[in-house]
Amino acid sequence: MIPAISTKNLGKIYRVGFFMRRVEGLRDLSLDVGQGEAFGFIGPNGAGKTTTIKILMGLHRATSGSASLFGVDVNESNARKRVGFLPERPYFYEHLSAREVLHFYGQLSDIDAAERTERIEALLDRVQLTRFADVSLSKYSKGMLQRVGLCQTLLHDPDLIVLDEPMSGLDPVGRALVRDLIIEQRDAGKTVFFSSHILSDVEAICDRVAIVVGGSLRECGPIEDVVADRESLEAVLVGEMQKAVDESRLGVL
Amino acid sequence: MSRLIALARNTFREAVRDRVLYSILFFAIGVIGLSLVMQEITVGDREKVVRSVAQGAIAAFGSLIAIFLGISLVFKEVERKTVYTILSKPISRWTFVLGKYLGMMMTIAVQVGVMMVVYTVLLTIQQSVPPPVVYVSAGLLLMELMLLTAWATLFSTYSGPTTAAGFTLAVFLIGHLADDIWTFGNQLDSAAAVEVARALYWVLPNFEMFNIRAHAVHELPIPWDQVLGASAYGLCYTAAVLGVAMLVFERRDLK
Repeated sequence: MIPAISTKNLGKIYRVGFFMRRVEGLRDLSLDVGQGEAFGFIGPNGAGKTTTIKILMGLHRATSGSASLFGVDVNESNARKRVGFLPERPYFYEHLSAREVLHFYGQLSDIDAAERTERIEALLDRVQLTRFADVSLSKYSKGMLQRVGLCQTLLHDPDLIVLDEPMSGLDPVGRALVRDLIIEQRDAGKTVFFSSHILSDVEAICDRVAIVVGGSLRECGPIEDVVADRESLEAVLVGEMQKAVDESRLGVL
Repeated sequence: MSRLIALARNTFREAVRDRVLYSILFFAIGVIGLSLVMQEITVGDREKVVRSVAQGAIAAFGSLIAIFLGISLVFKEVERKTVYTILSKPISRWTFVLGKYLGMMMTIAVQVGVMMVVYTVLLTIQQSVPPPVVYVSAGLLLMELMLLTAWATLFSTYSGPTTAAGFTLAVFLIGHLADDIWTFGNQLDSAAAVEVARALYWVLPNFEMFNIRAHAVHELPIPWDQVLGASAYGLCYTAAVLGVAMLVFERRDLK
């Protein structure tokens, strides 16, 4: 079966500052995520998680290597036909209401009007926003915007759901709602790929994890194999971060 | 196609909900209205003065709206990160740029339309029903704004509103002085300088091609040769500038 996500030697170099200093954001990342998998993508800040996700979503161009979604190169817009994406802190048009913005995203996904209306109402109900559906998004709290974000992610019933730090900054109730929605999607056989700092959520939701540190893939596999004889996923992550620091000192990285 | 329409419609909706736009429009209508007062304080052909001031106001405010809206057209989407959720749908970047541009043109066309309605009503009350040349002139003004907005869109694909405003304003001013560049170039002694001036004349936009306001003010026959030539020029030039805007945006990393 074609993997939902496949990257081969993916690399990204940024040029920053006046003198275009070279900063390596990602190095030789090769990864396959199978269809129907719940996959956790973890690492410290600046590890390359968001860079990888942005390349997958066509928002950044890779400097080297390749990436595909369901076998279609990510640089083709059609690659994202079966994908729903929730960025970290989603931003929407503040002049629109939740209902209006979801209709707009539904049109972008080419969903016909009747189906669109039906799905929007069901999703608004699911995330408990029906009461506020006609209120301008400028008046929404962060948690409410995250719920609108989830609705737009799931609106076209995608086969692959990509979530970048979906629980960041949410209160416990918001976190539980997001976690339940992700679990629902996983149980419905969808592929879920998400990055998170909250490792307990990753352990509760994912079948497999990948750990990235300093732009490189350090570990990848089923959670129990990655943890192996170590204490927890957190211990593995901290260990990999320490290893990266040591290698950097020795000039390996 | 439906995605393009959705993007254009949303851009239009965003613009018409912007209160700043209404301020500019009301101010423009005020100036058009004030032009009627001009005949009380002027000498000579008073009716022509009114027509000239009112049509000049429509052109000036139309350009102001085009620059004001165009300079942040794409940049705002990247800066506010609304582009993330849009481009994660099966939307190509060129569709995004074109959709935004078309939505902006719809907005500008409506603004010019509203100003023309006000002009028609006032002129009909005060003088007589404006002749068709006035509306052909307004059509060419829209062509000019189409090209000006394309330039503003190009600048907004890679720079912030302040820089884009500076560049667009420069293009606007140079575009209205293009004929002077040609005249000035022909008076130079150095052959190389003449060639440079001529090259600049052909590369830079010539907004004066779209200007038949003198015909509209003096109610002369429609200069069809100029209208057709300027329309073809405007369409081709706009397509070229938009093409460059799409190419620039295609290669950009969206931070």
